[in-house]
Amino acid sequence: MAAAEHSGGIGPRLSRRLLIAVALTFLGLFLALPLLVVFVQALSKGIGSYLLAISDPMAWAAIKLTLTVAAIAVPCNLVFGVAAAWAIAKFEFRGKSTLITLIDLPFAVSPVIAGLVFILLFGSHGWFGGLLRAHHIRVVFAVPGIVLATVFVTFPFIARELIPVMQAQGKDDEETALSLGANGWQTFWRVTLPNIRWGLLYGVLLCNARAMGEFGAVSVVSGHVRGQTNTMPLHVEILYNEYNYTAAFAVASLLALLALLTLAGKSFLEWRQPELRRAQPVRDRTRRQIT
Amino acid sequence: MSIALRGVAKQFGEFAAVKNIDLDVPTGALIALLGPSGCGKTTLLRIIAGLEIPDEGQVLFDGRDATLWPIRDRNVGFVFQHYALFRHMSVAENIAFGLKVKRRRERPPAAEIRKKVSSLLELVQLDWAGERYPAQLSGGQRQRVALARALAVAPDVLLLDEPFGALDSQVRHELRRWLRRLHDELHFTSIFVTHDQQEAIELADTIVVLNRGRIEQCGVPSEVYDVPTSAFVHRFLGQVNELPVRFRDGRAFLGPIDISAAADVRTGSADNIALIRPHEIEIGSETLGWPATVVAVRVIGPIVRLELCAEGQPASERLEAEISRERYAGERFKVGQKVGLRFRRWQLYPAGATAG
Repeated sequence: MAAAEHSGGIGPRLSRRLLIAVALTFLGLFLALPLLVVFVQALSKGIGSYLLAISDPMAWAAIKLTLTVAAIAVPCNLVFGVAAAWAIAKFEFRGKSTLITLIDLPFAVSPVIAGLVFILLFGSHGWFGGLLRAHHIRVVFAVPGIVLATVFVTFPFIARELIPVMQAQGKDDEETALSLGANGWQTFWRVTLPNIRWGLLYGVLLCNARAMGEFGAVSVVSGHVRGQTNTMPLHVEILYNEYNYTAAFAVASLLALLALLTLAGKSFLEWRQPELRRAQPVRDRTRRQIT
Repeated sequence: MSIALRGVAKQFGEFAAVKNIDLDVPTGALIALLGPSGCGKTTLLRIIAGLEIPDEGQVLFDGRDATLWPIRDRNVGFVFQHYALFRHMSVAENIAFGLKVKRRRERPPAAEIRKKVSSLLELVQLDWAGERYPAQLSGGQRQRVALARALAVAPDVLLLDEPFGALDSQVRHELRRWLRRLHDELHFTSIFVTHDQQEAIELADTIVVLNRGRIEQCGVPSEVYDVPTSAFVHRFLGQVNELPVRFRDGRAFLGPIDISAAADVRTGSADNIALIRPHEIEIGSETLGWPATVVAVRVIGPIVRLELCAEGQPASERLEAEISRERYAGERFKVGQKVGLRFRRWQLYPAGATAG
């Protein structure tokens, strides 16, 4: 043991410590410290003014709008993500690689551009602007536009999470269920969904965090109408621009709290997931090594 | 239920997986689809199951055209190499699955399902494991659960895709015997896919040897082993030695041995090869037939394998012969020893058809 350490020399041990130190310093400076500042600033004038800032009707409207948008966007992407991942993982068809590339598009495009696209499409001078005006439907600078932009931006999270999970699991389970007489629906609910539930939950969590926190795309299409089309991130910006720091950080602290909860949930799932996902293959592998 | 394939073909992109297959599987048969990987055996099985639709041809179940029937209407049990057990369900829930998903009016009451499950657990000798989860079982146990699950819906046909491929040889042997017993007791029609000739010979009534999407030969195991109709089948079922047939003065020779007397020598055609199984080589004293040197001796359980370098052959082309342990106990062949060879039996094939 001592000999091994000695032959390893001081170099590797030193560089290990150095690397850890650098990583921790960076984490502290750029991640932990800002998070701390958010909470310190939010509570700087006491808990009373913190609660007052949060219970402000405009802040409430922003919170409600954010929750509403997430409540629409996440289920949309849930359905889309499961369908897309299913199609990609379990079937061979023409245009499959194009579909995979398209799913990644929202990650590649800047959110501001995504917002602008919706203005171009649905704005009063946009492609469908006339049609929408004729039917008295408002998309841009209204809730539908915010939902559309959010759906677009958070589109890849669930599909991306599920595709590798479903690809790894293959089609055997589904084909077995069908051969045992199950119909498509029974196969999905009783076999496929239980197999992907942890990956799905993980994707939903990330998708939700992004849906609530999205700024760029939403900012372009929202129109910043206070109490009507202001989501939480937009509200934080407005408060900040009005030099209302305490209120701004109070609302921001709620978003930060959401982030922390998401992280906690994520690490819980990561702790659960490998248990469930690897339980079978690991045993198989050990058996093979023995034989 | 009897199954018949009529001119079945299936293409995957540019790759023709099976080509124009005709096959009859009588009711109650136990048939092996045997061949190297990529020969189309699994595709054929999946076509019978309804997991693939053939591009051409028909699948007949008891004479009725079942080509386009969905899998759930075919009443077939399908067992995968990697078991495909539902890992979030207990063993008992796995076995009950096929009964629980039945349409309401066909579904047996819960008590009856429980009874059926416990009798199936007993049948596969896992009555203690009902509440376990698949991850807690060994490979052989999991495959038995998969079989019980397939049998729960009382299929007319049991289809098995390399069912023992992922198991170690001891367990594989046990499961084979067990499956054979089960088949004989329950009288369903079974078709299994394997690349292991030993498994096919041990388990099946009929072996269908496939090569490059076509049936090479179909027959009972002893027939396919002893009277192969092509060099491919001869090579695929067991070990072979290959020797070119040489012609001199209108007579045919294997090394120095004159084989012109044998009926199947097509004298004059210069492109014949002889395939000889290791146990068909006779070894005797130096004066017998073809002089050779023993270069390796290996005792393998009941048999002893000798590697021989025959006179006039390149050193890299060794012949492999097998003798019984008893004979070896008497004669003790040693490395370096000079011996003589003779061939009890051989089969000739045109050398051009060597592609396998």
